[in-house]
Amino acid sequence: MSSPSAVRPDSDLQALMSRYQRGDFDAATALVHRLSPQLHRFFVVQATGRADADDLLQETWLRIHRVRHTYRPGEPVLPWLYAIARHIRVDHYRRTRRAAVREGRFEQALDVAVSVRPAPAQDLETLLSPLPPSQREVIEMLKVAGMTLEEVARATSSSVGSVKQKAHRAYEKLREWLREE
Amino acid sequence: MRNNDIDDILGRAARAPEPVDPAVLARVTTSIGASLKAVRPLPSRWILAGVFIVLAAAAGIGTAVVLGTGGWDRLSVMEAVVIFSALAVLLCVVGAVCVSQIVPGSRWHAAPALPLVAGAIALSAIFAVLFRDYATPHFIASGYPCLRQGLEVALPTGLVLWLLLRRGFAVHPAGAGLAAGTLAGLAGLTMLEMHCAYFSAPHVVVWHVGVIPIAAAAGGAIGWAIGHFRR
Repeated sequence: MSSPSAVRPDSDLQALMSRYQRGDFDAATALVHRLSPQLHRFFVVQATGRADADDLLQETWLRIHRVRHTYRPGEPVLPWLYAIARHIRVDHYRRTRRAAVREGRFEQALDVAVSVRPAPAQDLETLLSPLPPSQREVIEMLKVAGMTLEEVARATSSSVGSVKQKAHRAYEKLREWLREE
Repeated sequence: MRNNDIDDILGRAARAPEPVDPAVLARVTTSIGASLKAVRPLPSRWILAGVFIVLAAAAGIGTAVVLGTGGWDRLSVMEAVVIFSALAVLLCVVGAVCVSQIVPGSRWHAAPALPLVAGAIALSAIFAVLFRDYATPHFIASGYPCLRQGLEVALPTGLVLWLLLRRGFAVHPAGAGLAAGTLAGLAGLTMLEMHCAYFSAPHVVVWHVGVIPIAAAAGGAIGWAIGHFRR
């Protein structure tokens, strides 16, 4: 596994976050426009569907707005942001699972999820669909958002070793699936 | 297929994210703009952890001073050093875990249950080694008041801790509750070690150390319930 090559100007994000905390609307708007595409993709990749992803994105920003004081100036922004987004996604997953169980279609939904087969040329969400959610989010953060192992560990409230292990298992699974193609 | 090949495939698939609906972005910025004002960031982690630790220690020591320090007076210097050093270390660890639970994206120190389990075992071992009196006369009659007193200290300490914790954002409310409950339980145990002069090992291990898991379980349950009903 190679480390992500994309250079992330996290110091820009930190400066924007500090201005946002000081009540600067332009900074808030800049953050929303800059980070929403990757947050949106984070939700889409987690197999929530586009409409749900839109809702989750809005919910995440409203939550971020409510708890923006918990960001510590000078610290990396993405782990903080993704920790909140992940919390929203897990809440959403629990809500939908409860609703699905109530409606008796949970097992059916699971069968559909497992039967998806990826293809190398397909989009990211299809490519990552065979992975369990915990591995999918690690790959999405590492390889798409370009976060470091330490940042992913912070965002997922786990250790760097655990992140490495999940990434390794995800690659093994992806290798197996792609070989079948 | 090598890892680099998978990287390439992921890179190609991830190259062009779908644009977010501009109407969604407009709704978000409008909502934010409507209530945007300057906020004060949380204090540094060290300050937060320090406040939690001092609060728990002050609750335990302060109550013991009010109730009487019969236990402290009977402890030998070596016993006092060992017991209160262990309590201080645990307070620091649990204080740091509390902070990591309420600041999103914190460096993960330990699962909240780890200091609870490890601490309870370590303290039990220390008490079993230090106090060689293993007699258990009136085990329940003498133990229940200690447990009750310990929990009576833990409860208000936990409430104050919760007021402080609320300023953060618990990504895992049950974990935050568990950590806060453990800290409150340690306050109760600190009080008991200074106040209670009955140094029977089974008494101390069951009725004193027992305050920690009970307070932690209560904190975890409250945190879980808050997280559950917040959804």
